[in-house]
Amino acid sequence: MTATTDLATQVYQVFIKATPEEIWQAITTPDVTARYFHGARIEVSPERYISHGPDGATWADGPVFEYDPPRRLVHQWRSLYDADLAKEQPSRVSWEIEPHEGGYCKLTVTHDRLDSAPKTAASVSGPGWMFVLSGLKTLVETGTPLDGAGLPATAAS
Amino acid sequence: MDDDRVFKALADPTRRLLLDRLFERDGRTLTDLEGGTGMTRFGVMKHLRILEEAGLVVTRRSGREKLHFLNPVPIRLIHDRWIDKYTEGPASLLASLKNALEEKE
Repeated sequence: MTATTDLATQVYQVFIKATPEEIWQAITTPDVTARYFHGARIEVSPERYISHGPDGATWADGPVFEYDPPRRLVHQWRSLYDADLAKEQPSRVSWEIEPHEGGYCKLTVTHDRLDSAPKTAASVSGPGWMFVLSGLKTLVETGTPLDGAGLPATAAS
Repeated sequence: MDDDRVFKALADPTRRLLLDRLFERDGRTLTDLEGGTGMTRFGVMKHLRILEEAGLVVTRRSGREKLHFLNPVPIRLIHDRWIDKYTEGPASLLASLKNALEEKE
C-alpha cells in the first residue's frame, strides 16, 4: 500500500548558486524572508518557527522538530494566514541543503503529513512553493527580489 | 545551470507522459508508473533517470518503496527565463484565441 498519494507529500527542489550558510540565512532571517516569502517575516529558533505578515498578523507559530544549521530544518506548518486553512490539522515542512559542485547547493523542500489538511495541500502545491523557491533563488543569487515576491499571496498571484 | 538537461528531458513524449502521470497523482512507484505506458520496466527506469538528472523528478524512500515525485520548479524557472518575456502582448492574445476556438469543440 502506498500511504503517500495525491498532494499529501510534496517535494520541491532547486539548485542555488550560494553557500549552505547563505541559504540557511535566507530561510531563517526575517528581513530576508520578507523579500521573497509573500512578505512574511519568519523567525526561526531551535524551538519555534514564527511568521508574521506585513501587517503584524501571526501567519505561523509552531514547533521546530529539527534544527541543524546550515543543513537541515524541520518545522510544523499551519496556515494561520487563512481562517479556513487554519482549522486544518498541522503538517510538516523540511528544508534540506546539500552542497554540490560548481558553488551550487541543492535545496529540497518537502511538505508532508498533509493527509488531514487537503485545503492547505492544494493551496501550497505547485505555484505556491514554486513561487517562494524561485523567489528565494533569485534573491540569494542576485540580491534583488522577484517581482511581487515580497507581497502577500493574494496580491502576488 | 540545468536548462539543457530540462529541455532534453522534456523533448520526449514518454517522459512528458510520465510527468503528466505524476502531475495527476504524485509520489508513485516504478511499478505504478510503468502500467499503461506499453514500455518495459527497464525503459521506464531509463526515462525516470533522465527526468531525475534534470531535477524534474525527485525520489524518496518510504519503507521498502521508492516513490517518485514531480518537481515543477525547473519548469517554473524555464518559464521565468524563456517563456514570460516572449509571451507578453500579441503572442498571449493569439494563444487565448486558439484556446477559445478549440474549447468550442
